[in-house]
Amino acid sequence: MRIVNPSFGLSATTAEKVALKPVNWATDAIALVSNSKPNARELLAGIRDKLGATRMIDNIDFLSKNSASQPAPADVIEKVAANYRGALLAIAD
Amino acid sequence: MKDISEQEVIDIGDMDVEAFNDFATEQGWGDGMPLFVPTEAKVAKFVETVRGDNRPIPPVPPRQVVPTLQSMAANAVMAGCKPEYFPVVTAALRAVLDPEYNLHGSLATTHSCAPVVMVSGPIRKQLNINCGSNCFGQGWQANATIGRALGLMLLNIAGAKPGEMDRSTQGNPAKFTFCFGENEEENPWTPYHVQRGFAPTDSVVTVMSGEGPHNLNDHGSTTGDGLLTTFAGSMATPGANTVYGKGPMLVIIGPEHAQTLKRDGYSIDSIRQELFKRSRIHISRISKENQDTYTSTGHMPDGDWFTIGRNPDDIHITVAGGPGKHSAFIPSFGGTSVSCVRIAG
Repeated sequence: MRIVNPSFGLSATTAEKVALKPVNWATDAIALVSNSKPNARELLAGIRDKLGATRMIDNIDFLSKNSASQPAPADVIEKVAANYRGALLAIAD
Repeated sequence: MKDISEQEVIDIGDMDVEAFNDFATEQGWGDGMPLFVPTEAKVAKFVETVRGDNRPIPPVPPRQVVPTLQSMAANAVMAGCKPEYFPVVTAALRAVLDPEYNLHGSLATTHSCAPVVMVSGPIRKQLNINCGSNCFGQGWQANATIGRALGLMLLNIAGAKPGEMDRSTQGNPAKFTFCFGENEEENPWTPYHVQRGFAPTDSVVTVMSGEGPHNLNDHGSTTGDGLLTTFAGSMATPGANTVYGKGPMLVIIGPEHAQTLKRDGYSIDSIRQELFKRSRIHISRISKENQDTYTSTGHMPDGDWFTIGRNPDDIHITVAGGPGKHSAFIPSFGGTSVSCVRIAG
């Protein structure tokens, strides 16, 4: 018996690879991005404080989504891509 | 040899229905209830009903794959639909793919939301969709299977597997199915799809990522003003996502309540205005910690009151159900929309 696969779909993503440059976590600018749920910011603040023991933290910044239930707006994503070499996302819940 | 997930058509050899259900469960294709077998021949009958509707289907998040009409129809077959239901199912999928509906967020959230599907227009009668007594409940094949087909598509195509991508804390029985028809015949105002700019002769699917229906019981009030006091008091729930997520909600008025409100001069718009004004939640009913959460994400109180949505337009109103003094309030996920799509054909 032949059946149709109910999960079949064509991938919408291309095979194109994005070239990633290595990140120097000891010196590079880092974005700490909150999903805007309670305690996400506190979690990221703790990480920033701990990083401060081993590196300069003037170039480690906090960013967030407008709403916990909505995707990150394009301008936030573009800002991260343009200004930071690394990003840490806190998904609090 | 391709992996099963990469094959549109799969030869499963000789299997009876029971063996197919075991196989489907192993693949993660089911919702826990028995499935019909999506044979090539049966799927072809469904696909035939949407020939001519050539609008492309966008990638379906979170999995980001573009389904084929065959794979969509396989879910409708498994759900127990008749072929003639498939244009409604297809329209429902298009509707949840409205970017404002926020399908990814609504499927991945810890909230209990599920797609609420409402059907308007002549197709309700053609397909025998229940719009009257027990319209949210059991007993009608179209209601039960159209909603179930959408749920299976979100499981199998979108990839919303419970406990994996679907992170709902408790879930909701509406994740099995939640589909009903507007009771246009007993609506003393304008049918919902006409409120949204469609012609009365159009058949339209409306979707919202919502909770189950919250009952609005009022046997005592004999005036529209009294009914709105009960409705608003019941809608003012601090635990609703819409209080801090600020999004839409449905108020589905039973025909008897609708007649009373109409008799007392209320319109859809004036009901909306009154409900928004009267359903505000006093800060004494919301913990200080939760108030801090609301305000830290930009949802400020109006004086000592939090509103249940952004503005009166967040309250979407129509009529459904049969005899009795009950209506229903259906709050949404918050970060979502009430999206409408005309059913092709």
